[in-house]
Amino acid sequence: MGNPRVLIDGKPGSKHLLLGNEAIARGLIEGGVSVATTYPGTPASEIVDSLAAVAEEAGIYVEYSTNEKVALEVAAGASLSGLRSSTSMKMVGLNVAADALMTLGYLGVRGGMVIITADDPNCYSSQNEQDNRYYALMANIPCLEPSNPQEAKDMLLDAYRISEELELPVLYRSVTRLSHSRRPVVFGEIARPRRAEFSRDYERFVMVPANARARHVALLEKMEAAKGISDSYPRNEELGDGELGIITSGNAFNYVMDAIEKIEADASVLKLGIVHPLPEGTILGFLGEHSPVLIIEELEPLLEMRIRALANENSIGTKILGKRELSLPRHGELSIKQVALAITRALGRDPGGLRFENPALSRLDLEIPARPPVLCPGCPHRASFYAIRASGIRDAIFITDIGCYALGSLPPLSVGDVLMCMGASAGLSAGVSKATGKPVVGIVGDSTFFHASIPALINAVYNRHRYIYVVLDNMTTAMTNFQPHPGSGLDSLGRPAKRILIEEVSRGCGVEFVKVIDPFDFESAVGALREALAFDGPSVLVFRRECAILKARKAEGRGPPLSIDRSKCTGCLLCINRFGCPAITLGEGGKPSIDAMLCNGCGFCALICPQGAIGGSADED
Amino acid sequence: MRTRNVVVAGVGGQGVILFAAALANAALMSDLDASVSEIHGMAQRGGSVISHVRIGERIHSPTIPEGGADVIIGLEPLEALRSLPFSNERTLALLNTRRIVPIAALLRGPKYPELEEILGILKRFCGSVLAIDAPELAKRCGSARAENMVMLGALAGLGILPIPIESFERGIGETVPRGSLERNLEAFKLGVEFARAQKV
Repeated sequence: MGNPRVLIDGKPGSKHLLLGNEAIARGLIEGGVSVATTYPGTPASEIVDSLAAVAEEAGIYVEYSTNEKVALEVAAGASLSGLRSSTSMKMVGLNVAADALMTLGYLGVRGGMVIITADDPNCYSSQNEQDNRYYALMANIPCLEPSNPQEAKDMLLDAYRISEELELPVLYRSVTRLSHSRRPVVFGEIARPRRAEFSRDYERFVMVPANARARHVALLEKMEAAKGISDSYPRNEELGDGELGIITSGNAFNYVMDAIEKIEADASVLKLGIVHPLPEGTILGFLGEHSPVLIIEELEPLLEMRIRALANENSIGTKILGKRELSLPRHGELSIKQVALAITRALGRDPGGLRFENPALSRLDLEIPARPPVLCPGCPHRASFYAIRASGIRDAIFITDIGCYALGSLPPLSVGDVLMCMGASAGLSAGVSKATGKPVVGIVGDSTFFHASIPALINAVYNRHRYIYVVLDNMTTAMTNFQPHPGSGLDSLGRPAKRILIEEVSRGCGVEFVKVIDPFDFESAVGALREALAFDGPSVLVFRRECAILKARKAEGRGPPLSIDRSKCTGCLLCINRFGCPAITLGEGGKPSIDAMLCNGCGFCALICPQGAIGGSADED
Repeated sequence: MRTRNVVVAGVGGQGVILFAAALANAALMSDLDASVSEIHGMAQRGGSVISHVRIGERIHSPTIPEGGADVIIGLEPLEALRSLPFSNERTLALLNTRRIVPIAALLRGPKYPELEEILGILKRFCGSVLAIDAPELAKRCGSARAENMVMLGALAGLGILPIPIESFERGIGETVPRGSLERNLEAFKLGVEFARAQKV
């Protein structure tokens, strides 16, 4: 999809190459969504990013909320008022929203509501790899699991239908390999949006204990009735033919199909489109007709546990093979190879006959240098970290947070001793400083500050904690593709909005030492850090400078690349060993040189070079 | 038709995703099914990026199995090396020779191998290898950054995928922003010409 307008201009029946998340966005449009909220997070971000690009024209209200809990609540409010809504988030975002989620099922919804969770098996862009299907069980709401972009679009219409039939929100589970897969997607018709109408219903919508008790019973009854919907759901499909049965769902289904083809196995595959409540009748029938039955799923054995229990309750003796018997891990993502090996073993064949890797590879005796992600050339965070290191705070413990700046924990900057989850830097810093009495520097980004740091910052003031809180304000949500946030001065569609300043919020929280510094003003940055260290109480230093990529996209572009004057350079390598910009590489004669294709022209290296050897324009070599 | 698997390996910022999307769009223009699996966010940012492109009649898995690559596109030499687990003795490796040295290899640990060594290894493990100085070619159309389109052109010019040049050009048109289409197509053509002049 080169042009986002395809999402609204594409005619029913037309075919387009879409990212899984774009297909989900089209599904929401076809489903007549009126309100779509999110807090950006990989691998979910492009759902609302692509909706935002067409929102005005499509008449959809789109919102980047301050965090996932708020996002879920805004969408829920719209659904209580009769509109179809969606909220989408990466899987850990649902932890933030979980408080609302656990009770929303009691209230139920009126307009259809879809809660999209994009899980990240193998932690490509995440701090954990939790399996969010658990949330469907815990909140006891229906859960659908598409397996490819076409289904991801089509099944959203089912999700809305089921949501309205049961008056419950539906959890919609994607994974990285779906959200970030591009596939051809055939478009369908666009439904008309619902009309908003709020009508009071005290017993249903006001969760005081007496009502909550009754609504829990109502939820259980709805989900009992949902078993019928699950059993008749046409996207629970049986494919292939064989004595051997395989039950699977979501992306795991794709590996199963390729594995069966690769090893030429006769197998019957039951692919579940709905994973909560389980289509019990369908599964019992399948168990009765096949043996053994393999259960193949990514991450947790969630289908497996319940199918074993179901077989047990119904005294079905079919041999069921799951994670343990098939040696399939509960971590990482599946592969064709793993699944092919598992099926081969279950068939009693010799797995030695299966060939995957290039056999010659075992003779490769070369250690390939790692290439972890790094802060971009010109990134203001690098300058901030350099100042933190240069300020010479002894024994400091650095508590970092979720965002690009987590990359500052890598050498040579090495600022980051603890990293846990969104906003945790503010609370963790308090605990570490209280326990150790050592200087503690918490590090957080601007969007993350608004997301989850503020209550902990108030706590730090109120409970007399002492640490320096460095807010790296690059004026955007950079890691997830530059979405606006409350401090950016732009609304969700990029129009001017009230700008909420981090320094004002901090003062409002009661922080008495607050300073705003440009990290490229190296002397001031170091000075402010030293002053904050001496302050008795929590302090906030806002290091503000616009993200280098965002800046380069604007009219001013990037600066001309710099070069190193080899006659002045003494080869001290401070620019490599301490600063570590990816545009500075080791040139001839052990002296550094600047890669003109990578250099952003920010000029910070020229500022810190002890010999004043950096400046001018492009390097010759 | 047998499914064709193309691994595209490079460094975040080099245009791996654009390359893969244009290739998939080219396949669509030839009425084939196509699938691209890519990685965003933390995994980009100047880090190793690998994209799996699968082209055929009906694709299931988003990822290519180990040993299953028909083609490895190395937009960067070290990253081509890193994707060798996908190679087999028939794999064609198409290599952009511009090296991007990771900071980690400057600071400590294993050093960046010489280009000759990388080419030697690729030749040992793959069926054939074609090396291209893509930014040098791309400069002729005004932007060294169009190196990814030079590489796509080389892939198209070799004629090893069941996709004609016209479909590639239409695929690029579907993928890149309109303002840069002309430059990208020019870079693509330079790649096609380069490949046609070679014997692999």
